[in-house]
Amino acid sequence: MISARRAQIFALLAPYLMGAFLLVALPAGISLYVSFTRYDGVSTPVWVGLQNFQLLRIEPLFWVALINSLIYISQAVLLRTLAALGLALLYNQPRRATGLYRAIAYLPTVIPDTAYALVWLWILNPLYGPLNLALRAFNLPAPAWLTDTRWAIPAIVLMSLFQVGEGLVILLAGLRHIPRDLKDSARVDGANALQTFSAITLPLLSPWLILLTVRDVVLSFQNTFTPAYIMTRGGPYYATYFAPLLIYETAFDRLRFGQGAAIMLIVFAVTIFLVLALYFFFESWGFDDD
Amino acid sequence: MIERTRRIIAAIPALLTRHLLPLLLTTLFLLPLYWMLISSLRMPGQPPAIALEWFPAAPTLSNYTRIFQILPLWHYTLNSIIVSITGVTLTLLTASWAGFGMSLLGKRARLRLLLLSAGLQMIPVTALWLTRFLLLAKIGISNSHLALIAPALMGSSPLFILLFYWTFRRTNPAIFESAELDGAHLFRIWWSIALPMARPALMAVGMLAFMFYWNDFINPLLYLRSQTLYTLPVGLLHLQEMDKTNWPLLMAASVVMTIPPVLVFSALQRTLLWWELE
Amino acid sequence: MKNSIIFLFLIALLALLPACQSAPASGGKISFMVFGEPAELAAYQRLVDTFQQEHPEIQVEVIQVPGQSDYRKRMAADIAAGSPADVVLVNYRRQAAFASAGALTPLDDYLAKSTTLKEADFYPQSFAAFKWDGKQVCIPQNISSLVIYYNKALFDQAGVAYPAPGWTWADFLSAAQALTKDLNGDGTNEQFGAGIDPELIRIAPFVWQAGSDLVDDDANPTTLMLDTSEALDAGKFFMELQTAHHVVPNAEQEAAEASESRFLNGRTAMYFNSRRVVPTIREAAKFDWDVAALPQEKTAATILHADGYCLPSASKNKDAAWVFIEFANSAEGQTILAQTGRTVPSLISIAESPVFLDPSNKPAHSQVFLDVIPTMRVLPLHPAWADIEDTATQEITRGFYGETDPYDAMLRAVQRTRDYFTGK
Repeated sequence: MISARRAQIFALLAPYLMGAFLLVALPAGISLYVSFTRYDGVSTPVWVGLQNFQLLRIEPLFWVALINSLIYISQAVLLRTLAALGLALLYNQPRRATGLYRAIAYLPTVIPDTAYALVWLWILNPLYGPLNLALRAFNLPAPAWLTDTRWAIPAIVLMSLFQVGEGLVILLAGLRHIPRDLKDSARVDGANALQTFSAITLPLLSPWLILLTVRDVVLSFQNTFTPAYIMTRGGPYYATYFAPLLIYETAFDRLRFGQGAAIMLIVFAVTIFLVLALYFFFESWGFDDD
Repeated sequence: MIERTRRIIAAIPALLTRHLLPLLLTTLFLLPLYWMLISSLRMPGQPPAIALEWFPAAPTLSNYTRIFQILPLWHYTLNSIIVSITGVTLTLLTASWAGFGMSLLGKRARLRLLLLSAGLQMIPVTALWLTRFLLLAKIGISNSHLALIAPALMGSSPLFILLFYWTFRRTNPAIFESAELDGAHLFRIWWSIALPMARPALMAVGMLAFMFYWNDFINPLLYLRSQTLYTLPVGLLHLQEMDKTNWPLLMAASVVMTIPPVLVFSALQRTLLWWELE
Repeated sequence: MKNSIIFLFLIALLALLPACQSAPASGGKISFMVFGEPAELAAYQRLVDTFQQEHPEIQVEVIQVPGQSDYRKRMAADIAAGSPADVVLVNYRRQAAFASAGALTPLDDYLAKSTTLKEADFYPQSFAAFKWDGKQVCIPQNISSLVIYYNKALFDQAGVAYPAPGWTWADFLSAAQALTKDLNGDGTNEQFGAGIDPELIRIAPFVWQAGSDLVDDDANPTTLMLDTSEALDAGKFFMELQTAHHVVPNAEQEAAEASESRFLNGRTAMYFNSRRVVPTIREAAKFDWDVAALPQEKTAATILHADGYCLPSASKNKDAAWVFIEFANSAEGQTILAQTGRTVPSLISIAESPVFLDPSNKPAHSQVFLDVIPTMRVLPLHPAWADIEDTATQEITRGFYGETDPYDAMLRAVQRTRDYFTGK
């Protein structure tokens, strides 16, 4: 009887576990193997040991792509988290229009990545794009955005700031879990809004912030692919050449699957490192007040 | 008089956060969509406007007919719909199964699966796609919609499974237990008791999964060779490749691609965003 | 008289015989992958339609990928997946990457048996560009080259003489300057004298015209030669078109409206491209236009652009694929593509016939494409050429848009590509 129940539970979980094995564990294992080989996608892989990793160490494009990715992630994750936090606090009060405000704040997140990249390619167009026309109308400096090496990453960060719908939802869920009387009693004790926020709201929100930032770090790594592919092809002069584009081109343009797999492994390691760093950062900071 | 002025001054911050700021932000968030829409109505071939225009001087819908002439966009749309609907349906099945299964497990096994799901969530797809591609090609399902739908096998995203898991954990386990004691099969309990209770999760996951499959750019780019299988994101890329600065045309295609997710979102957003407001 | 007719009839029968015999053996479905803009693809669709009428036993699925760089990746992904299209159109600059990996079927045996395709009927430059390791890996469809498309109306308006054979860099520059205009008086130019992509394949003819080589050894290249004093002169001239003379759009202007669109919209006077844009210009241009040879300096030179029909090793229907390749490069197949304007036929007889040269089909002076063949240079065949080209192009782009000075750009292009040549 009990074993039949276990079998049924296992049947419920089977697709998920099978998928996790087939689509994640197995590819990860193959990546590990391929990264130690020279493989052009046609002939059989040749074992070359650590050669792929050694070559990457002296490959300037690899460092450019990795550093670009890290710059993008540090800017985007920080600003996106702040934006989501601000929006969540602003839209937390139950008021008549709040539902509509939230929906509209979420709306840009709904636009498909490809369409979103094209729209922003137009918005950011240095000469005729609405953004620069608006900036010029106010006599503000109008940078060349995606055609200027210094402004290309900030431009992509800027467009990512409009897609914070998921972060908003996560933080709204977090705010809902904070008991109202906790805040009220703090206010009775004479704390002002800022003090209540830093003493009560923020610490109680920190698990949700961890969830959000960690998720954003992982997503930001891969989400640079579509904008880089559609908007800039990695340019101008490698300014938006991110790790995913490098992986893609290494494999499918240069037919070096082994090296591509090696970069994938490094990206994975860097992601894990960032996630752990974030976790410890939040942990030390979240428990300060206890 | 002084009292009134003071009250007005005191009300300014509230006025700002309650009305002015939300209105400002709302305008800001609507701008990308608005610009996409009006730019799609411009006549192509004209020199672009050199001053900010809020509506084109001579609006035209001809860009919309033109994009369907130069690319079989209807066909691509149909493919996108097929992939999205199968993807969403399968995702709802596998994710709710897994979430339900997890909620029934003992403490140790549950924790292990939670950790696994959290771990899976940490792996960027970027770190897998090459070898996943090689693997699916060896299985023989590259150049087919199956390759695009494959993630549905694992519920598309561990997040979706966790959403179902939380929903089922929150409900009173006694309800499931009494049904089990009556001898009902777990799949039956899932179908007749668990799912009906998980309506909000179903809608939220359904919406997010729809976006996932509808928006998917990397997989079709990687897997699909035959034009008869292409989905809309590939169509958009090809349109761009043909004339990368024909903005009215590109914006028209973007609008076409954006309408379905906006409709789905409008229909389902309440469950995602409005819970405590009702 | 009568005898000779019977004799001819017999010969015709004999010629048909092998085709009839092979027909049942090579039926089925094949896929054919091409790149190009809609007007170009319409050209290939016509080719396929005619083929279908003559070979109803073979069904051809056309796969179109608009961008050349997407095309290359699509093909690599398909080859890695083990399921490439049965016939792929590949540029000669890319064939070595695929051929050296063993991804293409050598066609020598097919050629030897063919009754329709004879190597001697083709332009040798184009045919040789598709050899790898002594084997013929693709059959070239064309012998195109870099030329200038010019808007005659803009020349007339500005009172500038049309480009004449033998014109020089200085002539070109002064024409371009006269044709660059600020149309609405806002202080920036909307009309440009020239439009050219800042790429290695575009700068190469200038390097040759200046009297330098592009690589040290065409057969066995180990480095780019962009650091010779002649090549540096060429780089300076090329990049100063933008940075000093502003006769081509700057980076922002190019991002706002690509030179090809600008030309089609009537605001670029001279647009540099190969033959492949002709179907698009025919369809979209609302003005009178023609082609001219590149200007020259110490010597005249242009660059070969050629695409070949190749048969991937992993194709599952090679015989049917070969029947299609054979048809596409027969007199009939090449005639169809030449009529659409897409190609400069690689078959000498078709290239020199009215099918290609008829002046009533624009461009009126298609003869230009044949006149430049003697001065045509070919890029070296190297498996890593895509890398070399992309890397050099990045540096050239930087110089072209004034991010660095021309000499620095050229020198860096040499340094940064060296490792790709040696295959480190």
